[in-house]
Amino acid sequence: MGHGGRCACGAITLHLAGEVLGTAQCWCRQCQRSAAGSCTTNAVFLTDTVTITGTPGTYESRSAAGNTVTRNFCPHCGTHLFGMNSAVPHLIAVSFGVIDQPHDLAPKKVIWAEEAPAWAVLDPAIEHMARQTPGERA
Amino acid sequence: MSYTGRCACGKVTLQIGAAPLTTRQCWCRQCQALAAGGATNNAIFPAEAVRIDGPLAASTWQAASGNTLTFHFCPACGTQVYAQSSARPTMKTVRFGVIDQPHDLAPQAVIWTDDAPAWAVFDPALERFARQPPAPAPSPPTVSQG
Repeated sequence: MGHGGRCACGAITLHLAGEVLGTAQCWCRQCQRSAAGSCTTNAVFLTDTVTITGTPGTYESRSAAGNTVTRNFCPHCGTHLFGMNSAVPHLIAVSFGVIDQPHDLAPKKVIWAEEAPAWAVLDPAIEHMARQTPGERA
Repeated sequence: MSYTGRCACGKVTLQIGAAPLTTRQCWCRQCQALAAGGATNNAIFPAEAVRIDGPLAASTWQAASGNTLTFHFCPACGTQVYAQSSARPTMKTVRFGVIDQPHDLAPQAVIWTDDAPAWAVFDPALERFARQPPAPAPSPPTVSQG
């Protein structure tokens, strides 16, 4: 049980001891900036099951619902590490990009599909939501 | 053809005065780290056509070819801005994420499909390369008239 993780340069490492509560791809415009033009692909954990070694940089923005989204990145290589939402501080959305491979995680839904670029290919086998999952991040 | 762009926090801005030489979606393992688990989507421009204002930080990795790839990002928000290969100083690889929308860019090829996760979905209309394709030609393709 559990996953390890690290940023591109290795300055920040993660230990993800807990269960994955959900996985999703997010195509919101802000996530596209964090993901070099792609969607972010995230696994949600209970915050207290995640151990971060190293000190991330942070960038805060306002969500469509008015909450504060804090994106954490490695200050040495810029790798997006995880996001937090002020409405659900007990949850942490960890980027698939920092989770050690191989692993058995896969996105189970697509959110903010309405902001995806015309060229995006959304997996037809998983659920698509035009915007945010109701209730998940209020 | 021209484009403008900015990072998430706006401290870094871009002005691009040319059409891209090519556009690519890269699934290499290193790009997945920079693309929050997905592929980077990139437009490769002649370096001299890309003007970037604002402070940038950079890190590097060694590509499978042995070349050094330097990737530049905004130190205030982490947004990946562009990458530079040591083998191709005349080109800058700009991340789609910083280019202002709407724009007419779309990936023209998918590269490093060997490294893509099992759940990745590729556009069936695009050319695919298992690993690294040849570098793009140094100037934009000319369109024959008439």
